[in-house]
Amino acid sequence: MAETIHPNAFERREFIAFCIGEQEFCVDIMSVREIRGWTPATPLPQTPEYMRGVINLRGAVLPIMDLACRLGLDSHEPSQRSVIIVVRMAERTIGLLVDAVSDILSVTQDLIQPTPDVACDKVKSFVRGLITMEGRMISEIANERLLPELEMLAA
Amino acid sequence: MDELEQIKVTFFQECDELLADLESGLLAMETGTDDSETVNAVFRAVHSVKGGAGAFGLEPLVRYAHVFETLLDDVRSNKIGTSPDLIRAMLRAADVLADQVTAARTGGTPNKVATAAMVAELEAWIAGDAAMATASAAEATTASAPPADDGMDFDFKPMTVAVEDFTPVAAIATTDDDLGIAFTPMTVEIPDLDAETAPEPEGEQVWLINFRPLASLYSKANETALLMRELERLGPIEPVLDINDLPGLDALEPEGAYLAWTVTLTTDASEELIRDVFEFVSDDCDLTIARAGADLTDVQEMDVHQEPAPEAIDPIAALIAQAKAPPPVEEIASLHSAEANAPVASETLAPIQVSTPSSTPKPAPPRAGGGEPAAAQATIRVDPERIDRLIDLVGELVINQAMLAQRVGEHGFAPSSDIAMGLDELEQLTRGIQDSVMAIRAQQVKSVFQRMPRLVREVAAQTGKAARLIMEGEATEVDKTVIERLSDPITHMLRNAIDHGLESPEERVAAGKPAEGAVRLAALHRGGRIVIEVEDDGRGINRPRVRQIAIDKGLIAADAALTDDEVDNLIFLPGFSTADKVSEVSGRGVGMDVVRRSVQALGGRISIASRPGEGSTFTLSLPLTLAVLDGMVVDVAGHTLVVPLTAIIESLRPKPEDVKALGPQGAVLAVRDAYVPLVDIGSVLGFRSGSIAAPEGVVLLVESEDGGRAGLVADAIHGQRQVVIKSLESNYRQVEGIAAATILGDGRVALILDVDAVVAMRRREAPRPPEPILHAAE
Repeated sequence: MAETIHPNAFERREFIAFCIGEQEFCVDIMSVREIRGWTPATPLPQTPEYMRGVINLRGAVLPIMDLACRLGLDSHEPSQRSVIIVVRMAERTIGLLVDAVSDILSVTQDLIQPTPDVACDKVKSFVRGLITMEGRMISEIANERLLPELEMLAA
Repeated sequence: MDELEQIKVTFFQECDELLADLESGLLAMETGTDDSETVNAVFRAVHSVKGGAGAFGLEPLVRYAHVFETLLDDVRSNKIGTSPDLIRAMLRAADVLADQVTAARTGGTPNKVATAAMVAELEAWIAGDAAMATASAAEATTASAPPADDGMDFDFKPMTVAVEDFTPVAAIATTDDDLGIAFTPMTVEIPDLDAETAPEPEGEQVWLINFRPLASLYSKANETALLMRELERLGPIEPVLDINDLPGLDALEPEGAYLAWTVTLTTDASEELIRDVFEFVSDDCDLTIARAGADLTDVQEMDVHQEPAPEAIDPIAALIAQAKAPPPVEEIASLHSAEANAPVASETLAPIQVSTPSSTPKPAPPRAGGGEPAAAQATIRVDPERIDRLIDLVGELVINQAMLAQRVGEHGFAPSSDIAMGLDELEQLTRGIQDSVMAIRAQQVKSVFQRMPRLVREVAAQTGKAARLIMEGEATEVDKTVIERLSDPITHMLRNAIDHGLESPEERVAAGKPAEGAVRLAALHRGGRIVIEVEDDGRGINRPRVRQIAIDKGLIAADAALTDDEVDNLIFLPGFSTADKVSEVSGRGVGMDVVRRSVQALGGRISIASRPGEGSTFTLSLPLTLAVLDGMVVDVAGHTLVVPLTAIIESLRPKPEDVKALGPQGAVLAVRDAYVPLVDIGSVLGFRSGSIAAPEGVVLLVESEDGGRAGLVADAIHGQRQVVIKSLESNYRQVEGIAAATILGDGRVALILDVDAVVAMRRREAPRPPEPILHAAE
């Protein structure tokens, strides 16, 4: 892990990094409740394509979002190796379906760059910033923006 | 700080209960029950709110409550006679008090104008009483010894008692482990009355308190020991127990009261303070408080109203002889019968010293045996979250048990095998636990109903109607989840009944009805559901007008043939409002359709029946709990769905010749000479593109809220099951056509169908575009 260059300047934050296809993403570790293997979900009718359905998480009904589909990437049927990252957003808990979890990052704010102007608006709206580390580029997901329905309901 | 906050929270919880008591007491008085018990309960409620508020320094609340309390005290002591006007004023005063409490709780400011007006009104009542009181001074003094009343005539004149003649309390406290109270018979040394012997320390006076509890005191769970301890706070006390009236064991009534006390209290406190100690029991005891040290002539003049003391040797003898009917208590009789009998036999005077140690003495009241009818039910306050957690866990237990049963079945164990039988027992136990846990969360609808009298008063005042609310079935129990959702529909139904249902007083009189309209709010259990009825005796629904409005607003076709019932229920259509002018109360046209939708979302139904000129009845029915549901498990295009059993009339496998095509895609099914539309669940929910032919599947005949029937087509039926309802909204959002989710025996999530929504979706033909709101937000 790259140590901080300005140790006193910024607070250290930790992220869970995961991959979807060839790309790496991460979410703030504080929002992650648990990580679990893929179990078949019960599809919900009348919901967007990226909603895979709901699963039973120890008695609670947990909606599963296919993050690849949500980000507009190539989505494929989940396999045994697929992983669900259970994250808390606002008052809700949802599961994010990703290909695999890679590692835990510990970075300072100065290592996070703003999202550059990229072609795809979708990516821009979901990616809060970019972390560069050991030659990798990891996009931080703004998970509160993933469920627009909730914003609508709250408004 | 936290601790204080916590106590404060408890105080406000108690306030809610006290305010409810206050209101129900006042309502009881309104219906003519103005016995002293009711009046006292009302007084106590306000008094306790004031007391608690004082402890937390909630000054405005204290000030207001004090005025209210003063009025109630006057009512209690019969200085003011109750009248309907007064009770109505007090009900309004109670509303203001509730507002004050709410303001204090939220830290907001109460409506100052309303408060000031109410205070002025209350003070007018109090002042009005003063005039009356002088006019009928004789009546003002009653036997019930109201506290803080200077107009009392005492039975006893002050006199002095030589306190030092008694053995100090502490020394007497002999051991009696069982009771915690030690009684030692002793003789009282009567001081020489001619000599004013009593030492009177500066500012201190010696009081003789003659206290004879009646049986009712004990039946209200009061404790004499606590009263003694209260007295002791004012100064050193010398209680003397009189067991003169204690009968033999054979004649002893277990719940009677036989003991009396004469307490000598040395204190600098005023008489009023001493009376305050007995404030809450003043109606349940014979109490006299007199200063010791009066001269003999005064004493002899005193009115000893029953059996003057034999020979009237001396005042204390007279005092004590007069005190009779001490409390019962088997223990005392059994433990002390030997000692007690002796003095009784030998002397008229058989005082027994009671020690009041600071440790909790076992109180005299008869707790053993028969029990106390008036005693409050023992309850515990539990954080609702803990119960919810328990219910969740039990829900999981049920699921787990079902999973286990399924696994056992898969492994081919015979139903008679030990394992299968053990599982059956487990299932019964699980059901038992589930029922018990649900019962913990069950609450009486009273908690919702008790808010309604105020609403009725306010709405009636706003609309210029005179309305009387009659409530029935307040003790009906429902799950907390349902209770929480009852308030809004009831509020709407009541508003509607008063605003639209009831006529103005003039119209009513003209129609030969009493000027005051009656609105009945009732709760009952029927068929595993809770039914709420709101009935008024107003004009009923004006059907031609309702029909015309519905046509004008394009809600129905001009030539639609509707039954009376159907016309009545048009008021539930969105955008319907019959009020000529939009009033503050109702008439915005968002009333009844919103109510109906929210009720339907809970798996409930609402309907109205009307009799022109006689009134209307709203009927609301809801499941008893929103936590579990009896459902039919069906298979639709490879998905497992649960259809609420309450919606299903019957299930059938249609014959091909009974299914008729109607229109391009539609089909109807002939069921006993009637055609019902067929709705393919799979295609409505988007599980498959085309519909399956009904004869290949199973048809569930359902009845929707508006009474219309439909046949839901599913692939197969798996059976009936009780399922635990899991909300989709808590982690996601509402999904059209789906009421909720549940977890099946195999651990997978199954969706619970919203029957009405599915039928309605079919009616719209084109399925909803799948992502209407997504891009809007981005």
